[in-house]
Amino acid sequence: MDPFESIKATFFQECEELLTDMESGLLAMEAGDDDPETINAVFRAVHSVKGGAGAFGLEQLIRFAHVFETILDELRSGRLSLTEDVTRVLLRASDVLADHVQAARNDGSVDETRTHGMISDLQGLVGAERAAELGFDGEEEDAGEEDFGFVPVTLSLDEPADDAPPADVSDLIASLAPAPEAEAEAEAEVAAPAADSLAEAGAAPAWRVTFRPKTEMYAKANEAGLVLRELARLGGVEVNLDASAVPPLDQLSAEQAYLSWTIRLTGDATEAEVRDVFEFVEDDCDLSIVREGEAAEAEAEAEAAAPVDIAAEDSDAPADAVEAAAAAPLDLDALLARVQGDSPAAEPAEAEAPAETPAPEAEAPASAEPASLDVAGLIALAEKASTEHALATPAAKPEPKVETKAESKAQAAAPTGGSAAPAPTIRVDLDRVDRLINAVGELVIQQAMLSQRVFESGLARSSDVALGLEDLELLTREIQDSVMAIRAQPVKSVFQRMPRLVREVADMVGKKVRLVMEGENTEVDKTVIERLSDPITHMLRNAIDHGLERPEDREANGKPGEGVVRLAALHRGGRIVIEVQDDGRGINRERVRGIAMSKGLIAEDAVLSDDEIDNLIFLPGFSTADVVSDISGRGVGMDVVKRSIQALGGRISISSEPGKGSKFTMSLPLTLAVLDGMVVSAAEQTLVAPLSNIVESLTPRSEDVHLIGGRDAVIRIRETFVPLIDVGVALGFRDTPLPPSSGVAVLIESEGGGKAALLVEAIQGQRQVVIKSLEANYQQIPGVAAATILGDGRVALILDVDALVTSSRRKSAPRIEKRMAG
Amino acid sequence: MTKTVLTIDDSRTMREMLNMALVQAGYRVLQAVDGVEGLEVLRAEGADVVITDINMPRLDGFGVIEGVRADPSHRATPILVLTTESDATKKERARAAGATGWIVKPFNPTKLVDAIRRVAA
Repeated sequence: MDPFESIKATFFQECEELLTDMESGLLAMEAGDDDPETINAVFRAVHSVKGGAGAFGLEQLIRFAHVFETILDELRSGRLSLTEDVTRVLLRASDVLADHVQAARNDGSVDETRTHGMISDLQGLVGAERAAELGFDGEEEDAGEEDFGFVPVTLSLDEPADDAPPADVSDLIASLAPAPEAEAEAEAEVAAPAADSLAEAGAAPAWRVTFRPKTEMYAKANEAGLVLRELARLGGVEVNLDASAVPPLDQLSAEQAYLSWTIRLTGDATEAEVRDVFEFVEDDCDLSIVREGEAAEAEAEAEAAAPVDIAAEDSDAPADAVEAAAAAPLDLDALLARVQGDSPAAEPAEAEAPAETPAPEAEAPASAEPASLDVAGLIALAEKASTEHALATPAAKPEPKVETKAESKAQAAAPTGGSAAPAPTIRVDLDRVDRLINAVGELVIQQAMLSQRVFESGLARSSDVALGLEDLELLTREIQDSVMAIRAQPVKSVFQRMPRLVREVADMVGKKVRLVMEGENTEVDKTVIERLSDPITHMLRNAIDHGLERPEDREANGKPGEGVVRLAALHRGGRIVIEVQDDGRGINRERVRGIAMSKGLIAEDAVLSDDEIDNLIFLPGFSTADVVSDISGRGVGMDVVKRSIQALGGRISISSEPGKGSKFTMSLPLTLAVLDGMVVSAAEQTLVAPLSNIVESLTPRSEDVHLIGGRDAVIRIRETFVPLIDVGVALGFRDTPLPPSSGVAVLIESEGGGKAALLVEAIQGQRQVVIKSLEANYQQIPGVAAATILGDGRVALILDVDALVTSSRRKSAPRIEKRMAG
Repeated sequence: MTKTVLTIDDSRTMREMLNMALVQAGYRVLQAVDGVEGLEVLRAEGADVVITDINMPRLDGFGVIEGVRADPSHRATPILVLTTESDATKKERARAAGATGWIVKPFNPTKLVDAIRRVAA
């Protein structure tokens, strides 16, 4: 991929993370978190989005992010205080920002009206006056352009021409040649114009630059030599050093600035270009830039700037000699050779320069020979001022810590790795993980088969082979767990999309809603996560649209106007449970019952518990566009939600309390790949019941089993009756029921809390099995969730416990229906 | 000799932009994701130039400048402040803390290399 495109891809990836950070920060603020660091983090996120957008010239995104960021900055600096209204606007702004990012990513467009509305809402937070001060006045049109517009500049290494026609940034980057070349060019250029200037002197227009660094300039690691080198890039230069201010060695302070330079610059550089060279240092030096033609003025200024008085006052200093030296043109090449040495901090050798070179002050009085002043020594002195301290402790570099070094090396080697997360991560193609999981699944089966064969061969349990196999089994299990963990992810990725949904739905239906989320870090297999989104979305919409009352109705009933919707994830019994709870009005059972009857879903005289009535809304055919279970007018019934969850091996139920609210509970397997199961036999078939559903097993006594209506059996277990399901009959393996006392009853509990006892012939044992989808290989069968391959190579069906329980419970309804029909 | 530039920025995009521009310009590039890590990397690896963002978690750009200037070994290491802030107060604060120069984001590679050349031999 084009490196520029790949950075752009990184940008959008990062944007997603930033938007998530931003939203969670805003939500924390909404919940009352006023920690400055939270506000800062939100600011930084928006700021980084803007920064990246700037690099890619994403104008609309920049413009909106700028306004948003400015308001956040107001908040950060305390000029705007954090109120509920403010967070509400900011949250909506975060949605608009997300839309802008999305639009930029897909080269799509944004809703201009919404953007404009949002911008004025944001500006409204600070008031018109402050908005004007912040520069929002001139319409957003130029807000982006002026401050953040990306003006590409063609890079040519032959001449640093900044005024070349604009080019695309990708071209720019592509055209950027390695620096060593640039370095060489620069040197060549410096040498050549310097020579030329001697010939052309007087003819060409020239700038006269007086440059006297202050001590602070060196303290900021700026160097006079480098500034002069930059100046030399603009044209021919003649440099005169004024070292007259340098005191005798014993009075010399290495941190002080003593030198100044007068430079005659020929060529066609503009004043702005000359000034630009001094951009970083102009506040830390005395600087004058004048046209040579304006001689008198220039002289006067130069005079004023020259630090002659210090030298004059110093009786030890031979003013004449130093002045003469200052007037003598410097050998530019020598100067450059000197200053182009390595970075001062890194080069201890330079420390010796001032010491080795005869100190100018010491020599000058003796020889009275101005020409003998060692210019290089002076330059070295100038440098020394800025580097002295560093050089004083050249060996003081701390020993690098091993881990830090390793880390930074890794970063240098793989800068694109994205080291923002504290724990190192790698991205792996999902296909590879799945192949691995499949292979491990086969390994589990092979291992089970091997164990069984060894067992059947009659080898003693204490034999080396059997013991080795046990170890192998543990190891296999561990490998399997680790591999499954690779696919596990926190549900956060789904949850984090919900606050926005809730805001939008709430806005749409005109209700006030607070979303409370719990258990975002609950981990579940990636495939499960991907399919959680739709059901959660539906349940939330339903909760807001139908569960919650209008604010005025709530208040009339003594509830706070703002409704609360709780979204929670938790692990329970080897499954992940998602709960969506509202504090609304609860299910109108009369109405639900009425609808169910009018649609012929239940008999008029059906006796149903409250729970059963509530769960009628999941029946196919219950929902239509104008009934309670319709979701926000989208025409998707709860039966559709239920089916999609069942397809995942999950189940959903609802419980409700009139006036207090409703709770949807959805439970899904943590993984779709392995299962801890109880292997049982029924009607000469080997079947597997998920261990997570099993409560206990018992041998039924005849007196505890009763028949209802001559056919349906119930079994009495500690004072409660639960349906007794003959698995062989239920699945159609045989017609005649098994005498209860000759089998084993396995008490199971479905996710909805319904209990039943499964009557089987025998229990074979507990085993972990690899789930093979029946639907993928055959078709869906009621009562059967999936299949697996056992250790002996046989295929066994995995029971769908919930379906069995539900069908046993529902039997009453259809039978009543039949009777009515008959 | 190849010069080493340490870039400190919490934005991965910005780090990659800098990396690409600098590597193509012939520099060796070290990266850090915030000020704390930046100072650690500087101490461990050294650098000829430090380029730092201002707004960062844990330790911001001002903190980086102060940290570098307070370290005797790196007191004279040039620091370029990289920020979208055209805000004069931020720039002044960075300068007062000891920043050598600045690059206003969005930068283009030319400006970036120019700025480095101005502060590093």
